[in-house]
Amino acid sequence: MSEFKERNIECVMTILKEKNPATTKEIMAMRDLFPELCAGCSSGGDVILAGKQLVEDGIVERKWTSEGFAWKLLKVTE
Amino acid sequence: MVVWARIRKDFPVLNQLYEGKSLIYFDSACMALKPVQVWEAMEYYYKYLGACGGAGRSTHSLGVETSQLTEEARVKIASFINARSQNEIIWTRNATEGMNIIAATLPIEKDQNIVTTSLEHHSGMLPFFKKCQEVGCELRLVDAKPDGTFDAADFEEKIDDKTKIVSFVHASNLTGTIAPLEDVVKISHEHGAWVVSDEAQFAPHNKLDVKKLDVDFSVLSIHKACGPTGIGALYGKYELLEQLDMFLVGGDVIEDVVYENGKITPKYLPPPHKFEAGLQNYGGMMGAGAAIDYLQKIGMENVHNREQSFSKRLLEGILELEKFEVLGPLDYKQRAALVSFRPKSDVMNHNDVTEYFNDMIPHHKILMRSGNMCVHPFQYQIGINPGKGEGITRASLYIYNTMDEVEIFLTELENFAKALD
Repeated sequence: MSEFKERNIECVMTILKEKNPATTKEIMAMRDLFPELCAGCSSGGDVILAGKQLVEDGIVERKWTSEGFAWKLLKVTE
Repeated sequence: MVVWARIRKDFPVLNQLYEGKSLIYFDSACMALKPVQVWEAMEYYYKYLGACGGAGRSTHSLGVETSQLTEEARVKIASFINARSQNEIIWTRNATEGMNIIAATLPIEKDQNIVTTSLEHHSGMLPFFKKCQEVGCELRLVDAKPDGTFDAADFEEKIDDKTKIVSFVHASNLTGTIAPLEDVVKISHEHGAWVVSDEAQFAPHNKLDVKKLDVDFSVLSIHKACGPTGIGALYGKYELLEQLDMFLVGGDVIEDVVYENGKITPKYLPPPHKFEAGLQNYGGMMGAGAAIDYLQKIGMENVHNREQSFSKRLLEGILELEKFEVLGPLDYKQRAALVSFRPKSDVMNHNDVTEYFNDMIPHHKILMRSGNMCVHPFQYQIGINPGKGEGITRASLYIYNTMDEVEIFLTELENFAKALD
């Protein structure tokens, strides 16, 4: 996995450790709290891809809600 | 008469189930799908030729045929845009590279200026921004109006006798705006300025006539015109191409490199070869030629008319729902076959819209793109803040789409809109 992708995954994980579950919109808003980790996510596509990877890995669950997708961290890893 | 159902069959990607669902591909402004004729042309190169082409490099049979087919493809591009000669066509990787070639090789002085607009794709703006940073010249921006259209008077204000070049997008990849290129060319030429038009979104969908428009340079991304990835073209009036400096140097751009008294003196080839250093994407060029043949056979007027019918219905259908803000002019005749939109309510992120249509609707995957489409300045101008993660969703159509797909999309968009209540 590329360093860029790893950093995006860490960005999403870090945000979900702060607020779990969080909607896509909330995740986007919280990126500013972690500028070094989340620097490459300006249009949000990278966050979505990272989130989807985490869903595929069984670490995060994604559900459709009236406020868009909610992302929930299932396993907290160090 | 074009049998559109037959056209669609040329695109096997659309005739499959993906994750058990039918695909509705609405992302052609990013990348057009490729018909079987294009990859057959490329397969011919890779299977039966596979050799060097270029300016007199390999004179064996495979080299000769490779050179012949790639030069034929260059002629096809020239004919497609009505250039005076194939020598006015330079192979590039994409429109971005075309813009970078012009900006990097442009002869410009510190007291001169370059004019562009707030609606440019970053590729039509940043190469000139960089050039001005390097040279110390001024970069002037014409603001598009909030509806994504332009007022010719705004160009008259910015362009003066010190303007070297104007970089202008003919059809916007964000708002779909078809811009008044003729007016801008006329104003620019009155001041002795050159014009480069970004044709990435116009040429694949409309008849482009560079001679009639009298535009000085144009850049094309052939991957948006059913061609292979990694191939584009730069058009330039021959006498202007001669005035540009070298871009990349190395093999294939030189007539000779004389070595005398411990010093080398390169003698460069004339355009177009002077801009095509090193071995090229020969398979891609042949695929590009096949893509142009494919579009020419359909007829660009037929392409345009079909897409206008899509645009009309798409625009009307989205606006009728009253739940979405649409970027760009609301008259379908003023725009390309793409609509960028976002929910009026601020309830969710734009990426959720695209993901919903990709994953959440039954029977279909409707593939669109979310984000800022590499046109950040205009979005800042109209109050969308890319830096805060704000953006839009874009549906962009092409020859293989159908009106049924447009209706399915609008039905699903209506269902989606209910979630916004």
